[in-house]
Amino acid sequence: MDPFGKYNSIISARATDKRILKKSQDGGIVSATFIYGLENNILDGVIVADRGEKFKPVPKVATTPEEVIEAAGTKYTVCPNISLLKSAVREYGCDKIGVVGTPCQIISTKKAIKYPVGLRHVTDKIALTIGIFCMENFPYNGMKTVVEELCGARLEDVVKTDIGKGKFWVYTKWGETKSVKLKETHPYEQIACHVCTDYTAELADISTGSVGSPDGWSSVFLRTKKGEEIIKKMIDGGYLETKPIDEGKFGLGILKKLALTKKEKNIKEIEHRKELGLPVPIIE
Amino acid sequence: MAKTINITPTTRHEGHGKLILEVEDNDVVNKAYYINTTPVRGFETMLVGRPAEFAPIAVMRICGICQTTHGIASCAAIEDAIGCEIPKDGRLLRELVGLGNRMHSHPLHHLLTADDFIKPEEKELRVDVIKLIQRMRKVGQLIVDVVGGEGIHPPNIVIGGMRTNISERAKAKLYYALKRYEKDAYLMYEAYTELIERYLEEIGIPDLGAHKYPYIASHTTFGDKEDIKWDSVVEIPPQRYYKDKKIAESTSVMIPLYGGVPVEGGPRARMAKFGNFRIGGSAMDINIARAKENLGAVYRAMEILDELDINGKTKVTPEYKDGSGIGVHEAPRATNVHFAEVGKDGKIKSYKIIAASTWNFPIVEKAIEGYPHQHAEVIMRAYDI
Amino acid sequence: MMVTVAHVQLSSCCGCLISLSDTYEKLIDILGSIDLVYCQTLADAREIPNADVILVEGAVCLDDHHTMEIVKEVREKGKILVALGACSAVGGITRFCKGGQMPKPVQSSFSALTEVVKCDLAIPGCPPSPELIVNVITAVLNGNMEYLRPFAKYAESKRGACGCDLIINVINKSLCMGCGVCAASCPTRAIKMIEGRPLVSSELCIKCGVCSFQCPRIELPKGVCQLDGE
Ligand SMILES: Cc1cc2nc3c(=O)[nH]c(=O)nc-3n(C[C@H](O)[C@H](O)[C@H](O)COP(=O)(O)OP(=O)(O)OC[C@H]3O[C@@H](n4cnc5c(N)ncnc54)[C@H](O)[C@@H]3O)c2cc1C
Ligand code: SF4
Ligand code: SF4
Ligand code: SF4
Repeated sequence: MDPFGKYNSIISARATDKRILKKSQDGGIVSATFIYGLENNILDGVIVADRGEKFKPVPKVATTPEEVIEAAGTKYTVCPNISLLKSAVREYGCDKIGVVGTPCQIISTKKAIKYPVGLRHVTDKIALTIGIFCMENFPYNGMKTVVEELCGARLEDVVKTDIGKGKFWVYTKWGETKSVKLKETHPYEQIACHVCTDYTAELADISTGSVGSPDGWSSVFLRTKKGEEIIKKMIDGGYLETKPIDEGKFGLGILKKLALTKKEKNIKEIEHRKELGLPVPIIE
Repeated sequence: MAKTINITPTTRHEGHGKLILEVEDNDVVNKAYYINTTPVRGFETMLVGRPAEFAPIAVMRICGICQTTHGIASCAAIEDAIGCEIPKDGRLLRELVGLGNRMHSHPLHHLLTADDFIKPEEKELRVDVIKLIQRMRKVGQLIVDVVGGEGIHPPNIVIGGMRTNISERAKAKLYYALKRYEKDAYLMYEAYTELIERYLEEIGIPDLGAHKYPYIASHTTFGDKEDIKWDSVVEIPPQRYYKDKKIAESTSVMIPLYGGVPVEGGPRARMAKFGNFRIGGSAMDINIARAKENLGAVYRAMEILDELDINGKTKVTPEYKDGSGIGVHEAPRATNVHFAEVGKDGKIKSYKIIAASTWNFPIVEKAIEGYPHQHAEVIMRAYDI
Repeated sequence: MMVTVAHVQLSSCCGCLISLSDTYEKLIDILGSIDLVYCQTLADAREIPNADVILVEGAVCLDDHHTMEIVKEVREKGKILVALGACSAVGGITRFCKGGQMPKPVQSSFSALTEVVKCDLAIPGCPPSPELIVNVITAVLNGNMEYLRPFAKYAESKRGACGCDLIINVINKSLCMGCGVCAASCPTRAIKMIEGRPLVSSELCIKCGVCSFQCPRIELPKGVCQLDGE
C-alpha cells in the first residue's frame, strides 16, 4: 500500500522567524508559508482556524501576518475552515486564497475544485492548499473531556495542546504540563474519522506535520509545482531552515508506519460498514 | 384582406411568448396581442403561510436575470409592513447591489438585440460588441457577487438590511472595476446609438413603435414608494382586459394599469420623468435610454462606494407584527412592485407581485400597432420582456 | 463535425443559462466549440431540431399541455438529455409551487424533468456555477464519462433534494467530519456550522441539491482523489 500518495520531495524544516515559532505548533510551516505568501503577493487571504473562547476554534479569513500568527497552533477539534471558502472571495474580495486543513478538508476542497456546483467563481481563486497530518479529530466536547477530565486542566487555561510520543499533552498558562496516554483518548474521537484513509493530506500542494522530524521541526511533503515553488523561495530567502529528513526508524520510518496504520485500520472499518450495509463515501 | 400572423415562439428574450398580429393589406398591424405562455409557478400563493425570510429567497427565482430587484422589493415590502428601518450602510449596499444587477442586465439585453441591428456580414463588429457586453456584464456581476453574495440570486439581501458589509479590499476591487465599466459604458452607448440610428434610417420609419401612453417611474437608481399614487394602481385579469376569450385564457400575465390605462416603465420612462429624455418617440429610443442608463448607474455606484462605511452596521433584526406593506424597486425593465401582508408570527399572510416587465406587456401591443408586422419582434425586444 | 447542442427552457427563471453566460469573455470560445442549434433566449431558431445534446432548464408543469409536448420532444430529439439546474434535476424552488394563482389558477403541479422522462445527466445547483456547466459540456464533448458519472447517477436516482439529505445521509450515518463545504456552497446561506456540524434552516432551503452533491462524504468520485496535472 502506498503510504503517502504522490509527492516530489520531503524535507524537515522550520521557520526562522521567532515570532512564528513562539506561537506555532511545530516548525511553523503553515504560518510561515501563509505570511510569506501574503507579504509577497502570492496570496491575499488565508483561511485558518482562529482560537475562540475556551479553545474553541473558529474559521477565519486572515489577511495580515498578525492575524495568521494569532491563529497558529493546533486545535484538536473540528473547525469547518472550508465553510469560509466563498466568503473569502465574496465579501473579503480575495483573489489568491490559501487554505489550511486536515486531510478530509483538503479532499473537500479538491472535490470543490473538480465539481464546483455551488461555488461560482470561487475555486479558480484557490492559490495554495496546505494539509496538516491527521490521525483523527475530536468533537469539541470530546476534546474538552480529554483536557478537563482526563488531563485535569481547565480549557480556559490551556495555551497549547499537542499529540506526540503516544500521549495527548496539555500546556496551561500557569506553566503546567499535563498528559494522558493516547489509548485513553480513543473513546472520545470523532467516529466519522474512522472511514478516512488519508494521513498525510495526499491531495494538498504542501502537507506538513510533526511526525518524522525532531521536536520543533516539521516534516514537509512538497507535492505540486506550486507547493515546491513557494517553499523553495522561502528557503532561498532564509524564511525556512531545512535539513534532509531522517530516513530511518524515527524519521520516515515512523511516518510511514503511522500512515499505513491509519489506512489499514480504516479500510477495515470501511469494509465492516459495507458488510453492515452502511454507506461509504468512496465509490469505485 | 386582413390576415392574422402568428409569431411563435418569440425569440431572444426571457420566458415564453407569442405574438398574434392582425395585419392589414399594407402589412401594417391593426391589432397586436403579446401573449406570455410561460406556466405560472405561483410565487404569490407559494409564500402564504411560509416564514417571511423565505420570501426574498423564493421570489428572486422568478427571474434569473433580474433576481436582485425581486429580492430588494420583497424585503422592502416586508420591512414596510412591520415598520423596520434598515441602517444607512445596509441601504447603500442594497442600492449598490441593485445597480450591479442593472449593469449586467442592460448589457445582456444589448446582447439579445444585437442581431436586430448588426448585419449578418458585420462579423467582426458583432464579436467586438459581444466582447464589450461581456466585459460590462462581468463588472455588474462582480458587484452582485461581492455585495449580494451570489451573482445570480443574491442571498445577502435580507429582511432588515444586508447580511454583511464588504472588506476594504473588496471595496477597492469594485472601485477599479467601476472605472473600467465607465469607459466601456461610453463605448457601448456610442456604438448602440449609431447602430440604432442606422437601422431606423434604413427601414425608413423614424418613429417605429411610438405610442401615446404615459410612463411610470419612481426613482432613477433605486426605488421610491412615495412617488407612486397607489390608489391609481390596479391589476386586472386578462379576462377583463381582452375582449377575445381565447387570448384572455391563454396569457399568463395579469394586466397592471395606472390611472386606468397601460403605462410604460423602464429606462426611457425613468430618464424622461427624472431627466430630459425625449418622450413619445420610437420604441428604439428605449434601447438608447438603456445604454445611457448604464452611465448613471456607474456614477451612482461610485458615489455609493464613497459614502459607504465598511465598518458600519448593515442589518437590524426584524421584529414582526401584523401589517401590510409595499416594496418598490426600479428594476432594469420597469418599476417592480411587491405587496406583502405579514403576521406577528413572522409568516406571510398574503403576497402580490407586479413584476417589472408586466407593466410593459400591454404597452408592447400598443407600440406594435400601426407599424409593419415585420418589425413586431424588434419593437417587442426593445422592451426587454 | 461539431457537437450539436440545444438549450430548452421549461418552467424556470433562466438563471442556469445566465450562469453559462457568466463565463464572460470565454463565452465566445465556448459557443465556438459547439454548434448551438436551438436556444430561444439567445437565437432565432423556432423549432427544436435533433441534437447530440439537449440541455433542459426548468421544471415540468404537468398541467400545461404545451410543456408536456416539449418534454416528449426533447427526449425524442436529444441523444443526451441533460436536466440542467435544480428545477430540472431535483425540483428546486418549484417544489414549493402549489397553484391557485391568477391568471392560471389551475397550473399547480410541477415536477423535475428527471421524474417525468429518462434523463441521461442531471445537474443540481440553483444555478450550477458557470465553471461546472463548462466542465460538463467539455466532458460531454470529450466523452469523459468518468467525470460525468455522478451526474448520470443523479439522473437515474430520480430523487428530490433537500438540506435534510445532509442529516440523513451524512450526520445520521456517522460520516460528517465537519469540513463545512456544504455551508460554503449553499446558494441561500441556509447552512450554518454549529459544533462542527451543518445546521440546515428549513426556512431558507430551496431544495437545490448543492450541499449534498458537494459533500465528499456522500460521494467521492475517484477522479477527485488524484493529484493530476499539477
Ligand atoms: C486534528 C488534528 C490532528 C493532527 N494529527 C497529527 C498527527 O497525527 N501527526 C502529525 O504529525 N501532525 C498532526 N497534526 C498536525 C500538527 O498538529 C500541526 O498542525 C502541523 O504540524 C502544523 O504545524 P505548524 O507549526 O507548521 O503550523 P502552525 O504555524 O502552528 O499553523 C497551524 C495551522 O493549522 C490551523 N489549524 C489548527 N487547528 C486546526 C483544525 N482543527 N482544523 C483546521 N485547521 C487547523 C491553524 O489555524 C494554523 O493556521 C494534527 C492537526 C490536527 C488539527
Ligand atoms: S435552478 Fe435556479 S437558476 Fe436554474 S432555473 Fe431553477 S430557479 Fe433558476
Ligand atoms: S460537506 Fe458533508 S462532511 Fe462536510 S460538513 Fe457538510 S455534511 Fe459534513
Ligand atoms: S440547504 Fe442550501 S444547498 Fe442544501 S439543498 Fe437547501 S438550499 Fe440547496
